[in-house]
Amino acid sequence: MQQALQKLASLSAPPPPIIEARGRTRLPPPRCFSTAADRRRRFANRELSLSSWMATSFERSNGAKKGAEAARDQHMESDGGPDPRLAKIASSIRVIPDFPKPGIMFQDITTLLLDPEAFKDTIDLFVERYREKNISVVAGVEARGFIFGPPIALAIGAKFVPMRKPNKLPGEVISEEYSLEYGTDTMEMHVGAVQPGDRALVVDDLIATGGTLCAAIKLLERVGANVVECACMIELPELKGRDRLGNKPLFVLVSSDI
Amino acid sequence: MAAYRDKDPRIHGIKTKIRVVPNFPKPGIMFQDITTLLLDPKAFKDTIDLFVERYKGKNISVVAGIEARGFIFGPPIALAIGAKFVPLRKPKKLPGEVISEEYILEYGRDCLEMHVGAVEPGDRALVVDDLIATGGTLCAAMNLLERVGAQVVECACVIELPDLKGRERLHGKPLYVLVESH
Repeated sequence: MQQALQKLASLSAPPPPIIEARGRTRLPPPRCFSTAADRRRRFANRELSLSSWMATSFERSNGAKKGAEAARDQHMESDGGPDPRLAKIASSIRVIPDFPKPGIMFQDITTLLLDPEAFKDTIDLFVERYREKNISVVAGVEARGFIFGPPIALAIGAKFVPMRKPNKLPGEVISEEYSLEYGTDTMEMHVGAVQPGDRALVVDDLIATGGTLCAAIKLLERVGANVVECACMIELPELKGRDRLGNKPLFVLVSSDI
Repeated sequence: MAAYRDKDPRIHGIKTKIRVVPNFPKPGIMFQDITTLLLDPKAFKDTIDLFVERYKGKNISVVAGIEARGFIFGPPIALAIGAKFVPLRKPKKLPGEVISEEYILEYGRDCLEMHVGAVEPGDRALVVDDLIATGGTLCAAMNLLERVGAQVVECACVIELPDLKGRERLHGKPLYVLVESH
Protein backbone atom coordinates (compact mmCIF):
# COMPACT_ATOMS: atom_id res chain seq x y z
CA MET A 1 0.00 0.00 0.00
CA GLN A 2 2.86 2.38 0.79
CA GLN A 3 4.18 1.81 -2.72
CA ALA A 4 0.80 2.61 -4.19
CA LEU A 5 0.64 5.82 -2.21
CA GLN A 6 4.13 6.81 -3.25
CA LYS A 7 3.35 6.10 -6.86
CA LEU A 8 0.22 8.19 -6.75
CA ALA A 9 1.98 10.96 -4.86
CA SER A 10 4.77 11.03 -7.41
CA LEU A 11 2.29 11.74 -10.18
CA SER A 12 1.96 15.28 -8.94
CA ALA A 13 4.91 15.23 -6.51
CA PRO A 14 3.69 17.63 -3.84
CA PRO A 15 6.26 18.71 -1.33
CA PRO A 16 5.50 17.74 2.25
CA PRO A 17 3.35 20.12 4.26
CA ILE A 18 5.04 22.79 6.33
CA ILE A 19 4.29 22.49 10.01
CA GLU A 20 4.74 25.79 11.73
CA ALA A 21 6.38 26.24 15.09
CA ARG A 22 3.83 26.39 17.81
CA GLY A 23 2.20 29.75 18.27
CA ARG A 24 2.42 31.01 14.71
CA THR A 25 0.09 30.71 11.78
CA ARG A 26 1.25 31.05 8.22
CA LEU A 27 -1.18 33.27 6.40
CA PRO A 28 -1.32 33.52 2.64
CA PRO A 29 -0.20 36.94 1.35
CA PRO A 30 -3.13 39.07 0.24
CA ARG A 31 -3.73 38.95 -3.46
CA CYS A 32 -6.03 41.00 -5.63
CA PHE A 33 -6.23 38.40 -8.34
CA SER A 34 -4.48 35.29 -9.40
CA THR A 35 -3.65 34.27 -12.94
CA ALA A 36 -3.12 30.74 -14.11
CA ALA A 37 0.60 31.55 -14.28
CA ASP A 38 0.52 32.68 -10.64
CA ARG A 39 -1.11 29.44 -9.65
CA ARG A 40 1.42 27.36 -11.52
CA ARG A 41 4.25 29.25 -9.87
CA ARG A 42 2.76 28.66 -6.47
CA PHE A 43 2.27 25.03 -7.27
CA ALA A 44 5.96 24.70 -8.07
CA ASN A 45 6.71 26.01 -4.58
CA ARG A 46 3.69 24.43 -3.12
CA GLU A 47 3.08 24.33 0.54
CA LEU A 48 -0.07 23.05 2.01
CA SER A 49 -0.70 25.02 5.13
CA LEU A 50 -2.38 23.46 8.08
CA SER A 51 -5.40 25.47 9.02
CA SER A 52 -4.16 27.31 12.12
CA TRP A 53 -2.46 24.30 13.54
CA MET A 54 -5.49 22.40 14.42
CA ALA A 55 -9.01 22.14 13.17
CA THR A 56 -10.68 25.34 14.18
CA SER A 57 -14.00 26.90 13.59
CA PHE A 58 -14.59 30.58 13.18
CA GLU A 59 -17.68 31.77 14.90
CA ARG A 60 -19.15 34.82 13.31
CA SER A 61 -20.77 37.22 15.66
CA ASN A 62 -20.75 40.93 16.18
CA GLY A 63 -17.43 42.09 17.45
CA ALA A 64 -15.71 38.73 17.11
CA LYS A 65 -12.44 38.74 15.25
CA LYS A 66 -12.74 37.10 11.89
CA GLY A 67 -10.73 34.62 9.93
CA ALA A 68 -7.02 34.58 10.43
CA GLU A 69 -6.96 36.78 13.49
CA ALA A 70 -9.39 34.58 15.30
CA ALA A 71 -7.42 31.55 14.24
CA ARG A 72 -4.24 33.03 15.63
CA ASP A 73 -5.87 33.84 18.90
CA GLN A 74 -7.61 30.53 19.07
CA HIS A 75 -4.60 28.38 18.58
CA MET A 76 -2.48 30.54 20.84
CA GLU A 77 -4.97 29.91 23.57
CA SER A 78 -5.08 26.19 23.01
CA ASP A 79 -2.71 23.99 24.90
CA GLY A 80 -0.85 21.52 22.70
CA GLY A 81 0.01 22.63 19.14
CA PRO A 82 -1.24 20.98 16.00
CA ASP A 83 -3.24 17.80 16.15
CA PRO A 84 -0.70 15.17 15.07
CA ARG A 85 -3.22 13.55 12.76
CA LEU A 86 -3.50 16.61 10.52
CA ALA A 87 -0.05 16.37 8.95
CA LYS A 88 -0.73 12.92 7.61
CA ILE A 89 -4.15 13.94 6.35
CA ALA A 90 -2.79 17.00 4.57
CA SER A 91 0.04 15.08 2.95
CA SER A 92 -2.27 12.38 1.64
CA ILE A 93 -4.27 14.80 -0.50
CA ARG A 94 -3.05 14.91 -4.08
CA VAL A 95 -3.17 18.01 -6.29
CA ILE A 96 -3.85 17.50 -9.98
CA PRO A 97 -3.09 20.52 -12.18
CA ASP A 98 -5.42 21.59 -14.96
CA PHE A 99 -8.41 19.51 -13.93
CA PRO A 100 -11.23 19.73 -14.87
CA LYS A 101 -9.93 22.56 -17.02
CA PRO A 102 -6.67 24.53 -17.50
CA GLY A 103 -5.68 26.68 -14.56
CA ILE A 104 -7.58 24.73 -11.92
CA MET A 105 -5.49 22.91 -9.31
CA PHE A 106 -7.76 20.05 -8.31
CA GLN A 107 -7.59 18.83 -4.73
CA ASP A 108 -7.94 15.07 -4.99
CA ILE A 109 -9.06 13.34 -1.78
CA THR A 110 -9.13 9.85 -3.28
CA THR A 111 -5.53 9.31 -2.24
CA LEU A 112 -6.54 9.94 1.35
CA LEU A 113 -9.17 7.21 1.04
CA LEU A 114 -6.39 4.79 0.09
CA ASP A 115 -4.84 5.22 3.53
CA PRO A 116 -7.21 3.63 6.07
CA GLU A 117 -5.51 5.33 8.99
CA ALA A 118 -5.67 8.80 7.45
CA PHE A 119 -9.29 8.27 6.40
CA LYS A 120 -10.20 7.10 9.88
CA ASP A 121 -8.40 10.07 11.45
CA THR A 122 -10.34 12.43 9.18
CA ILE A 123 -13.65 11.02 10.33
CA ASP A 124 -12.52 10.94 13.95
CA LEU A 125 -11.61 14.63 13.87
CA PHE A 126 -15.11 15.52 12.72
CA VAL A 127 -16.82 13.08 15.08
CA GLU A 128 -14.90 14.39 18.08
CA ARG A 129 -16.09 17.87 17.25
CA TYR A 130 -19.77 17.05 16.65
CA ARG A 131 -20.42 14.20 19.04
CA GLU A 132 -21.76 16.35 21.85
CA LYS A 133 -23.47 18.95 19.71
CA ASN A 134 -26.84 17.23 19.38
CA ILE A 135 -26.71 17.05 15.62
CA SER A 136 -29.79 15.24 14.34
CA VAL A 137 -29.01 15.34 10.61
CA VAL A 138 -25.87 15.20 8.48
CA ALA A 139 -26.47 16.48 4.94
CA GLY A 140 -23.87 15.34 2.42
CA VAL A 141 -23.41 17.04 -0.92
CA GLU A 142 -23.17 14.75 -3.96
CA ALA A 143 -20.92 13.00 -4.61
CA ARG A 144 -17.81 13.35 -2.42
CA GLY A 145 -19.94 14.48 0.50
CA PHE A 146 -21.43 10.98 0.34
CA ILE A 147 -18.03 9.54 1.28
CA PHE A 148 -17.45 11.63 4.41
CA GLY A 149 -21.00 12.37 5.58
CA PRO A 150 -22.34 8.85 6.30
CA PRO A 151 -19.45 7.70 8.54
CA ILE A 152 -19.86 10.89 10.58
CA ALA A 153 -23.63 10.42 10.77
CA LEU A 154 -23.26 6.80 11.86
CA ALA A 155 -20.78 7.68 14.58
CA ILE A 156 -22.85 10.48 16.07
CA GLY A 157 -26.22 8.76 15.68
CA ALA A 158 -27.67 11.27 13.21
CA LYS A 159 -29.68 10.61 10.10
CA PHE A 160 -27.96 11.09 6.73
CA VAL A 161 -29.60 13.12 3.96
CA PRO A 162 -28.08 13.18 0.46
CA MET A 163 -28.19 16.53 -1.38
CA ARG A 164 -28.24 15.67 -5.05
CA LYS A 165 -28.00 16.95 -8.59
CA PRO A 166 -31.36 17.26 -10.38
CA ASN A 167 -33.47 14.22 -11.24
CA LYS A 168 -31.50 11.76 -9.12
CA LEU A 169 -33.75 11.62 -6.05
CA PRO A 170 -37.03 9.73 -6.57
CA GLY A 171 -40.27 11.08 -5.21
CA GLU A 172 -41.00 14.58 -4.02
CA VAL A 173 -38.08 17.00 -3.76
CA ILE A 174 -37.39 20.65 -3.14
CA SER A 175 -34.84 22.44 -5.33
CA GLU A 176 -32.44 25.31 -4.90
CA GLU A 177 -30.70 26.96 -7.80
CA TYR A 178 -27.21 28.36 -7.40
CA SER A 179 -24.66 30.19 -9.52
CA LEU A 180 -21.65 28.66 -11.17
CA GLU A 181 -18.81 30.51 -12.83
CA TYR A 182 -20.79 30.17 -16.06
CA GLY A 183 -24.47 29.52 -15.64
CA THR A 184 -26.37 27.90 -12.81
CA ASP A 185 -26.90 24.48 -11.28
CA THR A 186 -29.58 23.00 -9.05
CA MET A 187 -29.45 21.02 -5.83
CA GLU A 188 -32.31 18.85 -4.56
CA MET A 189 -33.34 17.38 -1.23
CA HIS A 190 -36.18 15.02 -0.38
CA VAL A 191 -39.35 16.51 1.04
CA GLY A 192 -39.86 15.13 4.53
CA ALA A 193 -36.28 14.02 5.12
CA VAL A 194 -35.53 16.97 7.36
CA GLN A 195 -37.97 18.33 9.94
CA PRO A 196 -38.38 21.77 11.49
CA GLY A 197 -36.07 21.98 14.46
CA ASP A 198 -33.56 19.43 13.16
CA ARG A 199 -29.98 20.48 13.98
CA ALA A 200 -28.01 20.03 10.78
CA LEU A 201 -24.40 19.62 9.75
CA VAL A 202 -23.52 20.09 6.06
CA VAL A 203 -20.59 18.03 4.79
CA ASP A 204 -18.58 18.22 1.58
CA ASP A 205 -14.99 17.39 0.72
CA LEU A 206 -14.03 20.94 -0.20
CA ILE A 207 -15.26 24.54 -0.09
CA ALA A 208 -14.23 26.75 -3.01
CA THR A 209 -16.55 29.67 -3.79
CA GLY A 210 -19.14 28.41 -1.30
CA GLY A 211 -21.97 28.34 -3.83
CA THR A 212 -22.78 24.67 -3.31
CA LEU A 213 -22.68 24.84 0.48
CA CYS A 214 -24.79 27.96 0.39
CA ALA A 215 -27.45 26.15 -1.65
CA ALA A 216 -27.38 23.26 0.82
CA ILE A 217 -27.82 25.64 3.76
CA LYS A 218 -30.78 27.28 2.05
CA LEU A 219 -32.50 23.97 1.38
CA LEU A 220 -32.17 22.96 5.02
CA GLU A 221 -33.35 26.30 6.34
CA ARG A 222 -36.31 26.35 3.98
CA VAL A 223 -37.69 23.28 5.76
CA GLY A 224 -37.06 24.77 9.18
CA ALA A 225 -33.81 23.09 10.16
CA ASN A 226 -31.09 24.89 12.10
CA VAL A 227 -27.77 24.62 10.28
CA VAL A 228 -25.24 24.36 13.09
CA GLU A 229 -22.08 24.26 10.97
CA CYS A 230 -20.56 23.38 7.61
CA ALA A 231 -17.70 20.89 7.66
CA CYS A 232 -15.17 20.32 4.88
CA MET A 233 -11.82 18.65 4.62
CA ILE A 234 -10.30 21.40 2.51
CA GLU A 235 -10.79 25.12 2.13
CA LEU A 236 -9.48 27.31 -0.71
CA PRO A 237 -9.45 30.55 1.25
CA GLU A 238 -8.60 32.77 -1.72
CA LEU A 239 -11.98 32.01 -3.19
CA LYS A 240 -13.62 33.45 -0.08
CA GLY A 241 -16.25 30.75 0.21
CA ARG A 242 -16.38 31.35 3.93
CA ASP A 243 -17.81 34.81 3.34
CA ARG A 244 -20.59 33.40 1.26
CA LEU A 245 -21.91 31.33 4.15
CA GLY A 246 -23.19 34.41 5.93
CA ASN A 247 -23.37 33.81 9.63
CA LYS A 248 -22.89 30.07 9.38
CA PRO A 249 -19.67 28.73 10.87
CA LEU A 250 -17.29 26.69 8.75
CA PHE A 251 -14.95 24.02 10.07
CA VAL A 252 -12.10 22.72 7.91
CA LEU A 253 -9.11 20.49 8.47
CA VAL A 254 -6.78 21.75 5.76
CA SER A 255 -6.34 25.06 3.99
CA SER A 256 -4.80 25.26 0.53
CA ASP A 257 -3.36 28.39 -1.02
CA ILE A 258 -3.50 27.16 -4.59
CA MET B 1 -26.43 -15.79 -0.34
CA ALA B 2 -29.05 -13.55 1.17
CA ALA B 3 -29.09 -12.55 4.79
CA TYR B 4 -32.87 -12.59 4.86
CA ARG B 5 -32.73 -16.34 4.64
CA ASP B 6 -30.65 -16.37 7.77
CA LYS B 7 -33.51 -14.58 9.47
CA ASP B 8 -31.24 -12.14 11.26
CA PRO B 9 -33.64 -10.03 13.34
CA ARG B 10 -32.17 -6.82 11.94
CA ILE B 11 -33.17 -7.63 8.37
CA HIS B 12 -36.86 -6.98 8.85
CA GLY B 13 -36.15 -3.51 10.20
CA ILE B 14 -33.95 -2.74 7.20
CA LYS B 15 -36.41 -4.04 4.65
CA THR B 16 -39.30 -1.99 5.99
CA LYS B 17 -37.22 1.18 5.77
CA ILE B 18 -36.70 0.91 2.03
CA ARG B 19 -39.22 2.97 0.13
CA VAL B 20 -40.52 1.94 -3.28
CA VAL B 21 -41.26 4.83 -5.62
CA PRO B 22 -43.34 3.83 -8.67
CA ASN B 23 -42.56 5.04 -12.18
CA PHE B 24 -39.10 6.40 -11.45
CA PRO B 25 -36.97 7.21 -13.37
CA LYS B 26 -39.49 6.21 -16.02
CA PRO B 27 -42.93 4.58 -16.25
CA GLY B 28 -43.01 0.93 -15.21
CA ILE B 29 -39.93 1.04 -12.98
CA MET B 30 -40.50 0.48 -9.25
CA PHE B 31 -37.54 2.35 -7.80
CA GLN B 32 -36.02 0.98 -4.59
CA ASP B 33 -35.21 4.09 -2.57
CA ILE B 34 -32.64 3.57 0.18
CA THR B 35 -32.67 7.19 1.34
CA THR B 36 -35.43 6.40 3.82
CA LEU B 37 -33.16 3.76 5.33
CA LEU B 38 -30.50 6.44 5.85
CA LEU B 39 -33.03 8.47 7.86
CA ASP B 40 -33.12 5.75 10.51
CA PRO B 41 -29.74 5.72 12.29
CA LYS B 42 -30.34 2.31 13.85
CA ALA B 43 -31.38 0.68 10.57
CA PHE B 44 -28.47 2.29 8.72
CA LYS B 45 -26.06 1.11 11.40
CA ASP B 46 -27.53 -2.40 11.28
CA THR B 47 -27.03 -2.45 7.51
CA ILE B 48 -23.36 -1.59 7.85
CA ASP B 49 -22.91 -3.98 10.79
CA LEU B 50 -24.28 -6.91 8.77
CA PHE B 51 -21.72 -6.32 6.03
CA VAL B 52 -18.87 -5.68 8.47
CA GLU B 53 -19.61 -8.86 10.42
CA ARG B 54 -19.41 -10.81 7.20
CA TYR B 55 -16.19 -9.29 5.86
CA LYS B 56 -14.18 -8.54 8.98
CA GLY B 57 -12.25 -11.78 9.01
CA LYS B 58 -11.82 -12.11 5.25
CA ASN B 59 -8.66 -10.04 4.73
CA ILE B 60 -10.31 -7.60 2.37
CA SER B 61 -7.77 -4.93 1.40
CA VAL B 62 -9.98 -2.78 -0.82
CA VAL B 63 -13.64 -1.80 -0.87
CA ALA B 64 -14.71 -0.46 -4.25
CA GLY B 65 -17.90 1.62 -4.18
CA ILE B 66 -19.91 2.43 -7.27
CA GLU B 67 -20.97 6.03 -7.78
CA ALA B 68 -23.04 7.42 -6.19
CA ARG B 69 -25.00 5.26 -3.74
CA GLY B 70 -22.10 2.87 -3.37
CA PHE B 71 -20.28 5.86 -1.86
CA ILE B 72 -22.77 5.83 1.01
CA PHE B 73 -22.35 2.19 2.02
CA GLY B 74 -18.78 1.44 0.94
CA PRO B 75 -16.76 3.86 3.09
CA PRO B 76 -18.32 2.90 6.45
CA ILE B 77 -17.60 -0.76 5.63
CA ALA B 78 -14.03 0.06 4.56
CA LEU B 79 -13.39 2.07 7.71
CA ALA B 80 -14.67 -0.70 9.96
CA ILE B 81 -12.62 -3.46 8.35
CA GLY B 82 -9.47 -1.39 7.80
CA ALA B 83 -9.54 -1.53 4.01
CA LYS B 84 -8.85 1.25 1.55
CA PHE B 85 -11.82 2.74 -0.28
CA VAL B 86 -11.75 3.19 -4.05
CA PRO B 87 -14.51 5.13 -5.81
CA LEU B 88 -15.63 3.80 -9.18
CA ARG B 89 -17.01 6.73 -11.11
CA LYS B 90 -18.86 7.90 -14.18
CA PRO B 91 -16.59 9.27 -16.91
CA LYS B 92 -14.52 12.41 -16.39
CA LYS B 93 -15.13 12.72 -12.66
CA LEU B 94 -11.82 11.27 -11.46
CA PRO B 95 -8.80 13.53 -11.94
CA GLY B 96 -5.51 12.16 -13.17
CA GLU B 97 -4.90 8.85 -14.87
CA VAL B 98 -7.79 6.39 -15.02
CA ILE B 99 -8.74 3.11 -16.65
CA SER B 100 -12.20 2.73 -18.16
CA GLU B 101 -14.63 -0.12 -18.65
CA GLU B 102 -17.58 0.22 -20.98
CA TYR B 103 -20.80 -1.63 -20.30
CA ILE B 104 -24.19 -2.07 -21.91
CA LEU B 105 -27.36 -0.40 -20.74
CA GLU B 106 -30.90 -1.15 -21.81
CA TYR B 107 -30.48 1.56 -24.45
CA GLY B 108 -26.91 2.45 -25.25
CA ARG B 109 -23.70 2.22 -23.27
CA ASP B 110 -22.08 3.70 -20.20
CA CYS B 111 -18.62 3.75 -18.77
CA LEU B 112 -17.08 3.21 -15.34
CA GLU B 113 -13.64 4.58 -14.39
CA MET B 114 -11.07 3.80 -11.71
CA HIS B 115 -7.81 5.51 -10.79
CA VAL B 116 -4.62 3.96 -12.04
CA GLY B 117 -2.54 2.88 -9.07
CA ALA B 118 -5.38 2.82 -6.55
CA VAL B 119 -5.65 -0.97 -6.62
CA GLU B 120 -2.62 -3.25 -6.74
CA PRO B 121 -2.14 -6.78 -8.01
CA GLY B 122 -3.06 -9.18 -5.25
CA ASP B 123 -5.48 -6.80 -3.52
CA ARG B 124 -8.54 -8.64 -2.21
CA ALA B 125 -11.55 -6.61 -3.24
CA LEU B 126 -15.16 -6.18 -2.23
CA VAL B 127 -17.49 -4.37 -4.62
CA VAL B 128 -20.33 -2.44 -3.00
CA ASP B 129 -23.46 -0.86 -4.44
CA ASP B 130 -26.90 -0.18 -3.04
CA LEU B 131 -28.68 -2.47 -5.49
CA ILE B 132 -28.07 -5.12 -8.16
CA ALA B 133 -30.52 -5.14 -11.06
CA THR B 134 -29.20 -6.54 -14.36
CA GLY B 135 -25.67 -6.75 -12.98
CA GLY B 136 -24.12 -4.67 -15.75
CA THR B 137 -22.58 -2.08 -13.44
CA LEU B 138 -21.21 -4.63 -10.98
CA CYS B 139 -19.79 -6.60 -13.86
CA ALA B 140 -17.96 -3.53 -15.17
CA ALA B 141 -16.64 -2.86 -11.67
CA MET B 142 -15.33 -6.40 -11.35
CA ASN B 143 -13.67 -6.16 -14.74
CA LEU B 144 -11.85 -2.99 -13.73
CA LEU B 145 -10.53 -4.58 -10.57
CA GLU B 146 -9.47 -7.80 -12.26
CA ARG B 147 -7.73 -5.90 -15.05
CA VAL B 148 -5.32 -4.45 -12.51
CA GLY B 149 -4.73 -7.82 -10.92
CA ALA B 150 -6.99 -7.63 -7.89
CA GLN B 151 -9.01 -10.60 -6.74
CA VAL B 152 -12.71 -9.83 -6.39
CA VAL B 153 -13.77 -11.78 -3.31
CA GLU B 154 -17.45 -10.85 -3.37
CA CYS B 155 -20.03 -8.29 -4.45
CA ALA B 156 -22.23 -6.83 -1.72
CA CYS B 157 -25.52 -5.00 -2.17
CA VAL B 158 -28.33 -3.98 0.13
CA ILE B 159 -31.01 -5.02 -2.38
CA GLU B 160 -31.29 -7.58 -5.18
CA LEU B 161 -33.94 -7.67 -7.90
CA PRO B 162 -33.72 -11.42 -8.55
CA ASP B 163 -36.11 -11.35 -11.52
CA LEU B 164 -33.48 -9.43 -13.49
CA LYS B 165 -30.96 -12.25 -12.97
CA GLY B 166 -28.04 -9.99 -12.24
CA ARG B 167 -26.45 -12.70 -10.13
CA GLU B 168 -25.78 -14.73 -13.26
CA ARG B 169 -23.81 -11.90 -14.82
CA LEU B 170 -21.07 -11.89 -12.20
CA HIS B 171 -18.79 -14.51 -13.80
CA GLY B 172 -19.43 -16.89 -10.97
CA LYS B 173 -18.37 -14.40 -8.31
CA PRO B 174 -20.41 -14.63 -5.13
CA LEU B 175 -23.04 -12.02 -4.38
CA TYR B 176 -24.24 -11.15 -0.89
CA VAL B 177 -27.43 -9.16 -0.39
CA LEU B 178 -29.53 -8.23 2.60
CA VAL B 179 -32.98 -8.04 1.02
CA GLU B 180 -34.67 -9.22 -2.15
CA SER B 181 -37.40 -7.36 -3.97
CA HIS B 182 -39.69 -8.90 -6.56
